Amino acid sequence: MIRLYNVSKTYLKSQTKAVDDLSLEIHSGEIFGFLGPNGAGKSTTIKMITGILKPDCGTIEVEGINVADNPIGAKSLVGFVPDNHDTYDTLKGIEYLEFIGTMYGVNTATLKARIDEYALLFALTDDLPKMISSYSHGMKQKLAVIAALIHEPKVWILDEPLTGLDPQSTYQLKQLMRKFADKGNTVFFSSHVIDVVEKVCDRIGIINHGKLVTVDTLDNIRANGKATLESMFLTVTSDDITATVAKPTDGEDK
Amino acid sequence: MKRYLSLVRLMFLQQFKTRATAEGVKKKRGGSVVLIVILAVCFTPLVVAIAVSMYYMGKLSNGNVYVGTYLTLNCQGLVLMFGLHTIISNVFTVRDADKLLYLPVRAHVIFLSKLTVAYLNEIITTAASIVCMLLPFGIGAGVGATYYLMLLVALVLIPMLPMLIGCIIAMPLSALIASFGKNSVFRTVLRIAIYLLVIGLYMYVMYNFGFLVGTENGNILVNPELYIQSVIDDFIARMSSVMPYFHPNYMMMSSMFASSFTGWIVGFVVTIVEHLALLALVVLIALPFYKRLLVLSLEDGGGAIRKNGKEPYKLRNTGVVRGLVMSDLRRTARDGQMGFQSFAGIVMMPIVVVLLYVFMGLSDEGDTSFLQLMSLSPYYQVVGPLIILAYMTFVGLSTNVLGLYPISRENKSVAILKSLPVSFKKILLSKVVLATAVMVVSDFVTCLLIVVLLRIKWYYGLAMLVSLSLIGFGSMCITTLLDLKYPRFGWANYNQSLKTTKNGWIAMLIGLVTIVEIALISVMFVVWYSLTDAWYVILFMWLMIFAAMFVFAVVAYMIMTKRANKYFENIEI
Repeated sequence: MIRLYNVSKTYLKSQTKAVDDLSLEIHSGEIFGFLGPNGAGKSTTIKMITGILKPDCGTIEVEGINVADNPIGAKSLVGFVPDNHDTYDTLKGIEYLEFIGTMYGVNTATLKARIDEYALLFALTDDLPKMISSYSHGMKQKLAVIAALIHEPKVWILDEPLTGLDPQSTYQLKQLMRKFADKGNTVFFSSHVIDVVEKVCDRIGIINHGKLVTVDTLDNIRANGKATLESMFLTVTSDDITATVAKPTDGEDK
Repeated sequence: MKRYLSLVRLMFLQQFKTRATAEGVKKKRGGSVVLIVILAVCFTPLVVAIAVSMYYMGKLSNGNVYVGTYLTLNCQGLVLMFGLHTIISNVFTVRDADKLLYLPVRAHVIFLSKLTVAYLNEIITTAASIVCMLLPFGIGAGVGATYYLMLLVALVLIPMLPMLIGCIIAMPLSALIASFGKNSVFRTVLRIAIYLLVIGLYMYVMYNFGFLVGTENGNILVNPELYIQSVIDDFIARMSSVMPYFHPNYMMMSSMFASSFTGWIVGFVVTIVEHLALLALVVLIALPFYKRLLVLSLEDGGGAIRKNGKEPYKLRNTGVVRGLVMSDLRRTARDGQMGFQSFAGIVMMPIVVVLLYVFMGLSDEGDTSFLQLMSLSPYYQVVGPLIILAYMTFVGLSTNVLGLYPISRENKSVAILKSLPVSFKKILLSKVVLATAVMVVSDFVTCLLIVVLLRIKWYYGLAMLVSLSLIGFGSMCITTLLDLKYPRFGWANYNQSLKTTKNGWIAMLIGLVTIVEIALISVMFVVWYSLTDAWYVILFMWLMIFAAMFVFAVVAYMIMTKRANKYFENIEI
C-alpha cells in the first residue's frame, strides 16, 4: 500500500512545481497505472516514493511506514525499475544482481534461486555473465525488472517499464505484475502505452502539470462514459493542446 | 564549418557544466575566492623561484636562441605531460559514438572538433608555462617588444608539437590496450604503466639534456661568478648541438630574437609553415585511426560467455559496505577513463621516490653520493621521515582522485544509490574506505621504497604509514563530503568535467594545513632531541603526530556522518 498526502515538489533549478499538492492512495493487491504527458510529474512522484527525491511538503507512506521518518524501512519494501538504464554499465549483469541482493540483505542461496528463476523467465540466463554495456535497451530493462524483484518487495514501482521490451517479455512482465498483485502486493507503474494500461490496471491516475486530475477504476471509466481511456486521457490533459493550437485570437475574444 | 564550430562549442562547454542553481539565486563565491588566495600564497614562492631562475638564465645566456629553444621544449614537455591524458580521453576514447554517428556530420569533422577541444585545453597549460618560463627569460635577456608580441604566437603554436607526439604515443597505446581483449581492469593497469613510462622517459631525457654540470673552468668557492658562467657556457654549447633538431621551436625562437625585420619575417613564415605541417601530420596520422576506433567502439562483444557444463556465475556473500566498495571498485577500474584518472595519480609517489633515489643516490665512480652524505647525519633519521611525510601528504591527498570525486563519479546512477535501503552514512563510509584502502597500498609501496632506497629505518617507515593512513582517511572524509555537497552529474567526459572542480585544490590545502601541523608538532621535539639525544623524544614526537592525526580522522568522520543525510537528500537527479 502506498499513501501520499498533500505532497509537493519544486526542483532547485526551477520555479514551477513539478508535483503540486498530490494526494493519492494505492491499495494492496491492485495494479495502479500512473499516466500523464511528458513533464507532468510522473517520474518526480515515483522518485519521491522511492526516496530518491525529498518532497518539499506532505507525507508519503509505504506499507504504513513514513518514507521521511524511516527511509531505510520503507525502501526495503520497495522494488524499483527506473526509466534510466545507462547506469552500472561496467558491471556484469550477475554482478549487478549480486550487488542489489547484498544491499537488500538477501542470502546467497535465496538470491541464486531467484536469479535463476527470473533469468529463465526473461531469457537472460546466458547474458548475465556479460557486461551490461553490451546489453540492448530491452535486456537492460529485463535486468532492472529482475533486480527489483530479487528481494521479494511488497511494493513494486516501475517507471515506463515497457519501453524497449520484446512482445514475449512484455507478456511475461504483464503476467508477473498480475501475479505479484494477486499475492496482496502493490504495483505502481507509469506508462505512455495506454493500451497496456487499459488491459493490466485495476485503477488509473492521470497527472497533469503536477496535479492529479483523475483517479478512478477502469470499470468506472468504462461504465460512466462512452469514451475510451485514450480519449479520456486526451480530454483531461488537453489544456496544452488548446493553449497552443486553439489559442483564441483577439477578435474572437471580443 | 558551422557544424564543426557547433561541435567544438558543445564539447568545450560540456566540460564546464556546473551544478544547477535556482533561477535568480546568486552563486556564493566567497569560499572559492578564499581558496584561490590561500593557494596563491602557498604556490607563489615556487612560481617566483622558477621565474627568477629563468630571469637569470636569460641574463647569463644573453638571450641565447638555443637556450630559448630548450625552454620552449620544456614548456612543451609540461603540455605533453598534462595533456597526454586529455588527448587520450578527448580524442581516442570514444564514448559518444552512438550519440554522434547518426548526426549528418562526417567522422573527420567530429575528429577535428575533438582535437580542437584537446588543443584549447592545452593552451591553458601553455599559457602557465610561458608566464613562468619564457616571459621571465625574455625580461632577463632584455629583449625588445617583438619577443613579447611573439609570445602570443608562441601561445598558439607551442601545443602543436606535444599534440603530434601525444597522438603518436596515444594511438599505439590505444591499439595495444584494445588488443588485450575484454579484461578492462588489465587494460587500465597497462594504460597507467605506459603513461608512467612516458613520463619517466620524458624526465630522463630532459634531465640528461639540461642538467647543469660543473666544469673544470672554475671553482664555486673560489670564484662563483666565473664558475656559474662556465656552467652556462657549457650548457649553451650542448644545447647548440641538439636544439636545431627541434626545428619548428628553433625557428620560432630565431624569429623572436631576430634583430632585423628580414630575420623576423623569415623565421616567422618558416615557423608558421612548419607548425601547419605538424598539424597536417597530426590529422593525417590520427584520422584513420580515429575512424577505426569509432567503428570498434560500437562492436562490444560483452565479456564472459558461458562455459560448457559449468555454472555461468558464482555468487558471494558479502556485507553491505564491502558490497558497495566492491561494486564501486569494479566500475571504476573497468572504465578506461575513470580507472586511469583514479589510479594513475596514486602511483606518482613511488615513482618520485625512485627518481629521488636516482638523482640523489648516484655518484661518479669513487665519489660519495648526496644520499650517502645525508644519511651520515645524525638528524637524517629524525628529520628525513618528517619531510618525506609532509611531501607524501601533500602529493598523496591531491592526486587520489578516487577520494576527491566519489559522488560525482556515480553520475546519474546516484539515483540507484539513493533508492537502496542503506543508510547514507554507510554509502559515504564505503567511498572513504575504498579511497583510503587504495591510498594505503600506494603509501605502503612508497614507505617500503623509502626504507630500502633512502635508508630510512623501518620503524620510521611504519610510523609514516600509520600517520598517512589516518591523514588520508580524514582528508577523504572531507573531500567526500564536499563532493556530496557540490556534486557534478550529467558529465560525458569524466576527465574533463573534473578539471573545473576545486576538490583537488581543497585536498591540496588540507595537505598544506597538515604539513604545518606536523611542522608545529615536530619542531620542539627536534630541538629537544638535539639537546638531549634521547631516543624517547622521537617516540613522543611520533606519538603526538599519531594522536593529532587520529583526532583529525575522527573529527572529519564525525562531520561527514553528521551532514551525510542532509546533503544526500539535497541531491536532485
